[in-house]
Order: sequence, then C-alpha cells, then structure tokens
Amino acid sequence: MTARANRWLLIALYVLVVDGLVALYLGGMLGVVAATLVSVGIVGSLWQARVREKLGRHTSVPAILAAGLSAIDLLYFAATVLDGLVHLMLFILLYKLFTRVTLRDARDIGFLCFFMLVAAAPGTLDVSFLFVFILFMFTATAFLILRHLLVESQAGGLLHAAAIDRLRPRDVMTLSLAGTAATLVITALLFFVIPRVGQAALPLRGKTGRMISGFSETVALGSFGEIELDNSVAMRVRLPDEPIDGERIPDLRWRGIALDHFDGTTWTREDRKLGAVRRPHNGTFQIARPRGTGRFLRQEIYLEALGTSVLFAAPRALSMTIKTDTLIVDGAAAIWAPPGLTSAQYTVESELEPPGPRRGPPFRVWLDPVERDRYLQLPSVAPRVAALGREIAAGSRDDYEAAARLTDHLATKYRYTTVLARTTDLPPVEEFLFARRSGNCEYFAAALAVMLRTLDIPARVVTGFQRGQWNPYGGYFMVRLLDAHSWVEAWIEGTGWVTFDPSPRGAPLTFSGNLPISFYLDALRLRWYRYVVNWSLYDQIRVAGKARQTAMAWKPSRAWLAGPVNVPRSWIAVAVLAAGAAAAVYWGRARPPQRPTAARTPPRFYARALRALARRGFRPSPGETAREFMQRASGAVPAWAEPLELLTADYERARFGGTDVARVDRR
Amino acid sequence: MPSATTELIGRLEKSVASALVGKPAVVRLAVVGLLARGHLLIEDVPGVGKTTLAAALARSIGAAFQRIQFTSDMLPSDILGVSIWDPEKHDFVFKPGPLFTNIVLADEINRTTPKTQSSLLEAMNETQVSLDHSTYPLPRPFMVLATQNPLEYEGTHPLPESQLDRFLLRIRIGYPGADDEKAILRSGMTMPSDGVAPVVSVEDVLHLQGLAERVRADESVLDYVMRLVAATRTSPMLTLGVSPRGSLALLRAARAHALADGRDFLVPDDVKRLAVPALAHRVLVRARGFGNDGAHRVGGAAGPDATDAEAVVAAIVQDIPVPR
Repeated sequence: MTARANRWLLIALYVLVVDGLVALYLGGMLGVVAATLVSVGIVGSLWQARVREKLGRHTSVPAILAAGLSAIDLLYFAATVLDGLVHLMLFILLYKLFTRVTLRDARDIGFLCFFMLVAAAPGTLDVSFLFVFILFMFTATAFLILRHLLVESQAGGLLHAAAIDRLRPRDVMTLSLAGTAATLVITALLFFVIPRVGQAALPLRGKTGRMISGFSETVALGSFGEIELDNSVAMRVRLPDEPIDGERIPDLRWRGIALDHFDGTTWTREDRKLGAVRRPHNGTFQIARPRGTGRFLRQEIYLEALGTSVLFAAPRALSMTIKTDTLIVDGAAAIWAPPGLTSAQYTVESELEPPGPRRGPPFRVWLDPVERDRYLQLPSVAPRVAALGREIAAGSRDDYEAAARLTDHLATKYRYTTVLARTTDLPPVEEFLFARRSGNCEYFAAALAVMLRTLDIPARVVTGFQRGQWNPYGGYFMVRLLDAHSWVEAWIEGTGWVTFDPSPRGAPLTFSGNLPISFYLDALRLRWYRYVVNWSLYDQIRVAGKARQTAMAWKPSRAWLAGPVNVPRSWIAVAVLAAGAAAAVYWGRARPPQRPTAARTPPRFYARALRALARRGFRPSPGETAREFMQRASGAVPAWAEPLELLTADYERARFGGTDVARVDRR
Repeated sequence: MPSATTELIGRLEKSVASALVGKPAVVRLAVVGLLARGHLLIEDVPGVGKTTLAAALARSIGAAFQRIQFTSDMLPSDILGVSIWDPEKHDFVFKPGPLFTNIVLADEINRTTPKTQSSLLEAMNETQVSLDHSTYPLPRPFMVLATQNPLEYEGTHPLPESQLDRFLLRIRIGYPGADDEKAILRSGMTMPSDGVAPVVSVEDVLHLQGLAERVRADESVLDYVMRLVAATRTSPMLTLGVSPRGSLALLRAARAHALADGRDFLVPDDVKRLAVPALAHRVLVRARGFGNDGAHRVGGAAGPDATDAEAVVAAIVQDIPVPR
C-alpha cells in the first residue's frame, strides 16, 4: 500500500544525491575522477540490500575505518580542511546509501545532500548553480512531504491508509512546485531588499589557478603543435551607451598588457615600473587624460577568473570604476587589479583611436629617450629581416606610412594558421618571415614589431582579446578565450602610440556552435552576474531611486483621471462594478460546495494516546471503531475505562463533530 | 446538542422499555426508526412482544394507533378505505380505512395477497393514499410496524426483496433473558402496553425527526458508508448488493441513532451498529457454499434465509476499515 510512496521517496532521494554531487563538481570540490567514482558508488547502492546482507552485523567496521582514514586525509592529503570534510561527507553518504533501512536513514542522507550543496556554494559563482539549487529545493520539498506521510503512516498505522493510496504523484509535484516557487519569490524579495553590505560572496575557493591557452602575460615563439581553441567565455562587454548594435563600431579590441623586450624567441615585460592609483572619493580611477581625437566609449566589463589580474579595456582607457581600493597602472598603460580579485565587474571609459592616418596633432606628445631606447631594443636579428623591412617601407613619407605598409604586407602576403610546425632551425621570426610564411597572431605581431624596430620606429607587442561575438539577446560582446590576440603599437612621432594589427585574422573568428540557445544561456549568465553575484548596495540605491522617480512621475496622471476628460469617472465606476461582479461570479463558482472541515487524520492527542496504548500491546484492528477499541482496552484494564471514555468522546467530537481540533487538543 | 433533546428521547425509550422488558437494543432501534421517518419490519416468532412494542411506541408518543391483522382474504380497500355513494350530496364520499393513523401495526403482513401488500407499501413510500383519481395525505408522523413470522410458510406470500427495500430497518426481538422472563411472569401482565402513558407529544416527535436530518456527517463517515455498500455489491457471498436507496436508508438510520445517542454528529459506530438492521433485508445471499452452518438456521427451509444475510452483512462490516 505504501510501496508506491516508498518508491517515490527513493527516487526523490537519489535525485537529491545526484544534485548534491553535481553541485560539488560545479563548485570545483571534486575532480572528474572522484565524481565518477562516487557516481559508481551511488549507482551501486541501488542494490544495497545484498551488500547489507553480506555486511551483516559488521556495519560499524567501515565507519571506524572511515574515521581513521579521514583523520589521515585531513592531516596530510586534503588541500584544505573543507576538502577533507567533503571527502568525509561523501564517504558517509555512500555508507548511508549502502546501509539505509529506515526513514530516519533517508532523512540523514537528505541532510548530507544539503551539506553537499552548502559546501559547494562558496566554490562557484556560476549561474548553473542556480539550477542545481532550484532542483534541490523542489526535490527536497517533495522528499519532505513524502517522508512525512510515510512517517505518519508508520507510527501505528494512524494515517489513513487510504490517504496514501489516493496520493497522486501530480499532487506531490504541484505542492512541491508551489512550495519552491513561493520560497524562491520570498528569497528573491529579501535578497534584493536587504541592504548588501560587506563581502557578497565568500571567496573561499576562487578559481585562481586556471591558466588557459588564451591570454598570457608573455608571448613565447618557437613552440609547436596545434593551439587548442578554448571556447569558454573569458569576459563579457556591454556597451551601455550604444543604443543598438555594438558591432558597428570598427576595430574594437580589449587591450591587456604591452610587452617591450624581445630576446629572439620571447616577448616579455621588461619595464616593471608600476604606479598605484588610489581610489578617489567618487570611486572612479583616473588613468589617462583625454586627447580629444576619437570617440568615447563606455564599457561594462564582466571578467571571468582568468588567472591573471590584468584588467582589459578598449584602448585608450581613460577612467575605470571598480570595487577595489587601488589600481595599478604600468608604464605601458596596462591596468592591473590588486591581487586576490578573482572575477571582476568594472566600467571603463575609453577614447577610441580614430581610423586612418593622422597628421598635424592638436597637442604635443613626446617619448622619453630612455623609454625610446627600450622600445627599440632588439636581439641580434638576421640582416635579411631588416632588409625586408627596409624594402617594404621604401619610399614612405613618414613612420606611419612605413608601419602601415609593413602591416599591409604581412596581412596580405602571409597566412594565418593555428598549426605551428617547425620547418627549419632558424630563429622563429626569421622562420616565419622567410620559410613557413604562416603563423598565428603572435608571429605576425612579433615580426612587425621586430621590423619596425629595425627601421628605428619604437614598437611594442600588445596582448589582449579581439572584439568577440555580439550576443543579440543580451546586447553585449561575448569574448571567448579563443579570441585572445596580440597586435603591435608603434610610436608615431607627433601622434603617439598607434595600433597596427598585422594578423589577417581581421574579421573576428566566430565560434562555430552558434545556437540561439547558447546566446540565451550566456545572456542569462550575464544577468546572473549583474543582478545576483554583483548585486550591491549601490545597485539597491539606484533601483530605489528609480522606483521613487517612477512613483513621482506617475502622480500627475491622477490629475488626468479627475481632469477635463468627460467620461472616465462613470466609465471607471462601471468598470469597477463589472470587475466586482465578475469576481463575485468567479469566486461563487470556483468555491467548491461547503464541505465539512474536519481533520482528515486523527487529532494529535488521539494519535499520541494510540501510540501509548500500542506500546502496551493494544492496537485497534482496521474494522474496529474507536468505541469498540475503547471497550476492549477498558475490558482488559478496568482502570483505564474512565480516561479512555473521555478520550474517545473528545476524539469523536474532534474527528467527526466538526469541532475545532486545536481546542479539543489542548484539553 | 441541547440536553432537552436527549432527555426527550430518553423518556420515550424508558416508556417503551417499561412495556418491552429486557430489550433495550430493540427499543433503541424502534425509536431510531421513528426518528428517521422510517418503517420497521419486525421479524420473529409469535409471542415475543411484536405487538407490545408497536403499541407501546404508539402510546408513548400519544399518537393514534391502529392494528391491522392481515389475512389472505383482505382487499386493499380494507386497509386504505373506500368511497361510498352519499345520496344526500349526490357524490362519492371517501371513508378512510385503518391506515389513516400515526402508527400502524401491520400484523403478519406476509399472510395477505401481494395486491394488498403492495397497496400498503405504496402508502408507506409516499405517505399518501391514491384512490379513485384523488390522493389523500396520511397524518404525520406516519410509521408502519409490520411483523412477519419467518417460520410458517404454509399459505404465506413472502415479501419480494424489492418491497422489503421499503422498510428502513428489519429487526428481530428474540426471546427475553431468563431473569427478564421471570420478571414478566411475576408481573402477570396480560397486555403490558395498556399501562403506557404518552410521554412525548406528536409535535416533539416531528421536531426530533427534523433534528435527526440535520445530524452532521463527516466526509470520512460518508466514505465509510460508501465502502460498506460497495463491499456488499462485490462480495462473492451475495448475488444482490445494496441499492443507493439502501445506502441512503443506512445513513438516515445512523443519523437518528446518533441523535438518540445524544450527539449531533455521526461516528462510525452509528453506521456499524445500524448496518445489519438497515442492510441485511436488502441483499440476496448466494444459494450455495455459504450459510450451511446449521446453528444459524432457525427454520427448516432449503435455501439461504434472513439469518444468513445478517451473518454476511455482519462479516462485511467487521472487515471494512473504519475511518480514524
């Protein structure tokens, strides 16, 4: 009879367990191998009855063993205490799954699943955790309902056997859904309203160690093999001031750092001079002064944890708003966040470079001789490299034209590839220019910078990301790791640093899996970061202010209601009456015929009394009424006659008489 | 639940019990029948007090009482009444029969012809008499206590099940206990109901009948009634189960029982207590395989009889889980 409910309970339990495991995996608490092992264990526990038989009375042996092992694990193996506790928890979970018998075991497993979720929570900021959490809420609600029903029905068979019989999965589902929805709504309200002060997320386990194939702080040539393209999103860039389509803006790039030193194979950052910028009162860091040459572009950037503290922005960044106390800016205008920031949201104001050559600058710019020397540094380069540069640039009127010609030459005469094979023993740049004639952006940039330097034009290699893919649903650029890019900045006398991108990969490489659903999901992810993970006191104040403005703006419309318009008043009165009548009809129909409101189950005091009697060996048979049972019990123990009679009368009144159960209960 | 009601019913029961000594359960059932506006079929051997019960009940409520002794040569007009030509008015005038009273004792109802039986049963069902294109309402309260002797089959016309259905309850009186019988002997009463005086008025009875209809029935008790009735329909021991009229009758009787017990709500006990008297005469027991236990058999008839039906219904009632 209760077998069906038991089966549902088991299903709900396993959904909880799997959900908890997925949460741990998402939170980075479990590797693939560990997760697989635990999954195998979980699946195996479906046949736990046999294992339990084999184990017999020795069920405590593994428990003792586990205590010892986990102590060793905590002391020597686990990376952190939290990891050790997670390992222990997983062991207890498996142990419980294999030895579960009673409903109490089911409850314990449910608790463990909850703790798994709690343990995973600080490890992830990803939106997928939201889904895991919602699934958990829903399943846990259903689980609790079912478990409660089963517990009640087990305690002496008091719950209507028929009630469990009548139970439909749909009812449990509906109830759980409603419970989950209500909880989420209330939680969301509290979340958005309670002032957000202090640290939003506990950075217990930020993913700091992830160094990916994409962006790096040096450019090393000469390695070979095929570059793996990682299509996970590195950052998202919203352009709040651009009304429609960010794709219309030409030549967008997200600049990271500039590399000034080349040793023949690797570009590095020689100039370690760092300047700290302290946070001013208005919260906006001033980085550079505008020159008035290009258009301004405001960007809201949501940066994933990349394993670097470089902050990216469209060149030239002028100011930045970010929630830290200091920013670090180096001599090459790269911006760094203080260490410890794992993922960041910030707003940058940039002045874009105008396209095309510029002459007659409106102001004076000059390069320090020391810096100029640094940007002209070269290792010994084969003469034919310099010769090639001179040949291409011959006849140029100025440095800009020379650089543009070199860029054009590389972009048209060389091929872009991600398959890098060494064909000769020549230095990488020479091999690229004369032997292989193909390479990735790093080769193009390095070759251009080397050739510019041989022509006495100061140059540096810049790393960052290219524009990325426009997400039409969210209105932002999705910049993936495979968008990592490098290009060149050259010093043009009288203009300053000018960007040259010699890679033929001018058009942004589009990610092949362009399903609309992936756009939707990514847009959802952005909103998750924007409105949940990074929801701040500032946002609350802003929203409150907006709400107030809206309310103020609405006020005059009341005047419109009472105003010179002829009909509204009577019309509104009629509409209100009609709505009221419709509501009355609706409620009148929707309400079921008056049903007696007595409890469906025995009142608690009676259930307690029955349990007490059951302990003394008196149980009512299914066909025995309360009175018959009372008479039987009183016949056996005459001393019980009077209290039992009172009890039964109260029970009958409460159960069948429509009397308020709670009132009788108290007596 | 006002204590006045309890007191009223208590007085009535006490009054009837003074005539029918040692049979409180039977008295209770008779009162239940009265409060539920039902009719009783009293089935037992002669001389156990069938007439005494009916007369005592009638006298106790100060109502008009008629006894009709049914015989095989009786005609419907003998009980309903007859239209006679009135030469002065130049019209037929209806002369009411003995049925026009509050309490009717229809003695040995199975002795008369089916024609007369059915005329009585129509009157019972509709509380009115239709004769010569006009209808004559019967007085309220109207209650028939019919008796029949289950032992004598010679020259009888047993009531078919469809007509038995019209009786709310079928009750058995049974022999009195030894002490009670001795007390009856000692008192030497010839007609014990003679000494019964009215203790409640006809208006009181009508009021109590109204109260009985308003007794609260919890959903779970209704479900219980449904389960009982459904079980009679699917039981392998029965060829005919209880009709919806039967389940209505059970609920009506149970409500009156609750009222008589001093409650304004039903408990499963009411239903359980009334299940056999209200249902046993509405079912047909399968001919073979059951009821062969000689101890239950009163008569010598070959087929299953009333006691078998009671045993089957009682067994079903014991099996069905009660609501808790």
